[in-house]
Amino acid sequence: MATKAMLSQQEKSTAASTSAFSWGAILTVISGIFMLAALYMALVWAPDALNLTAPAERYAQRIFYFHVSSAWLGFLAFIVAAVVSILYLVTRKDIWDMWALASIEIGLAFFTMVIISGSLWAKPTWNVWWTWDPRLTISTICWLLYIGYIMLRGAIDNPDRRARFGAVYALLASFSVPLNWMAIRWWRTIHPAVVAPGNNADESMGSFGMSANIQTTLIFCVVAFTIFYITLMYHRIKLEQLQRRVDSLKQRLLYR
Amino acid sequence: MGDTIYLAAAYGVFWLVSFVLIYSIANRQRHLQKDIAMLEQLAQEETSSE
Repeated sequence: MATKAMLSQQEKSTAASTSAFSWGAILTVISGIFMLAALYMALVWAPDALNLTAPAERYAQRIFYFHVSSAWLGFLAFIVAAVVSILYLVTRKDIWDMWALASIEIGLAFFTMVIISGSLWAKPTWNVWWTWDPRLTISTICWLLYIGYIMLRGAIDNPDRRARFGAVYALLASFSVPLNWMAIRWWRTIHPAVVAPGNNADESMGSFGMSANIQTTLIFCVVAFTIFYITLMYHRIKLEQLQRRVDSLKQRLLYR
Repeated sequence: MGDTIYLAAAYGVFWLVSFVLIYSIANRQRHLQKDIAMLEQLAQEETSSE
């Protein structure tokens, strides 16, 4: 009886999500416009950093706008996942588990971009693709932790147990986010802290002054990426609701 | 071109990963909607045969 009630509740929530399709289309168009504008500002509108003289270094500095914005999106996604995981553990409502999975999947994609783009920026600036510096090492650990989350979910068949274990894991993994943010401020590292600089100015390489136009471009890119995150979350949660509807229909046919 | 190669590669990766993510979500949604239609039809057929 309880299972039947749960199934019809799932179907109702899916039906509500499909009827609100226009919201998805509006969000997609808005985020597309913002992302194209961010691309234009990062590649054309923003001025060159004045203290960088080598052409390769000066061009590579423009990676900064999407690199930092992707990192912001990744951190935001992992923190949202931690918050909704707490909500899941308190309320045991399925929707929070969907939010956590959606947010981590999106965060992981953007964190992959951060690592790749960081490596591409490091080559002309540090003359190496990679170095086991505290920030880079913690970023790799953070990335692997969230891959572990996806693997953990894939390894558990029982939906309740999967959601419960996932929530606890996402909560524990989220401690890597503040650690990652503070790594360039606490330890001696080659990675520059351009936004909110710490005490590593002497050791960091590739740092540059934040002029007003550079700051404006960065803020715009961060806003564009946040809108992109909201759009992706909307579609990813809708996907998860469809997946759960398929599961409930299969169960209904199986236990008829 | 030599000086801009890293910039082009980084932005290429951003757009590639974004498109793969969007395509993957859209593709999975399409398949699931097909599955739902098929399962609902199956459920309806079973109900009418009972």
